[in-house]
Amino acid sequence: MDNKQPTPGEWAIMGGGALALVASFLEFAGDTSAWGEGAFPIVTLIPLYALVMALQVALTKFANVRLPDRVLGFTWEQVHLVLGIFATVMALFWLITADDTGIGAILLLLGAAAACAGAFMLQRERTTGAIG
Amino acid sequence: MNNVKLSPANIVILAAGVVMLIGSFLDFYEVDGFGGSFGFNAWDSDAFFPVTFIPVLCGVAMALHVALTTFAKVQLPERVLGMGWNQIHIALGFQAAIMMIAFLIHDKGPLDIAIGFWLMLLAGIALLVGAVMREREPAAA
Repeated sequence: MDNKQPTPGEWAIMGGGALALVASFLEFAGDTSAWGEGAFPIVTLIPLYALVMALQVALTKFANVRLPDRVLGFTWEQVHLVLGIFATVMALFWLITADDTGIGAILLLLGAAAACAGAFMLQRERTTGAIG
Repeated sequence: MNNVKLSPANIVILAAGVVMLIGSFLDFYEVDGFGGSFGFNAWDSDAFFPVTFIPVLCGVAMALHVALTTFAKVQLPERVLGMGWNQIHIALGFQAAIMMIAFLIHDKGPLDIAIGFWLMLLAGIALLVGAVMREREPAAA
């Protein structure tokens, strides 16, 4: 089996991260994006979390970059899980609280949720024992 | 004799969780206008509730875990989603701290920071410090 072929979980993380990045430049609420005045950096945390997840997968899968096995005592699978859950919760709560939400807010939630789902799939694919 | 003993890290987490909860009921932002000053606490949608609820939730969950396992001797699973409790504390403490720092930096427009915000910021940072201390403490016998 080609080891470079991403698994479904890895695809979900990379796709979710890319979607969240694109969404972060679209209208989040009112006239502002996730990088705009009033939203930066509190909303920007969402695409940043998703981007870290996507970059870690892409770099290790395609660029053969060697990253440390653990970050602050967390395995990368655990980092993905934590970032994915928090990104999704933040995106969901912003969608609830923000007035006049734009397409960027909705796509941000979809991207974060996809990355989060990918993080859960990754636990099964790499048999971490975290779920199931 | 009461042999309940809290480690320094758990004291920090417990205190920070309480401060976070109290701070959430005090004014998060205030704004001058209409002949007076008006405040919004972290439970008010004008102060971005439920986003502001996330650091509160993190702090309360951490403090509750410490209180339940120390005082009520509640037996919780050793791992949740494959993570040990020290890792969960670090994840929650990191999220609480980073969100409060982000709230501090972001452009608040006409809103001014109020006492509840400062208490929550302080508590968020203390939660992360407590979580790191907890990780470095020798495991309880």
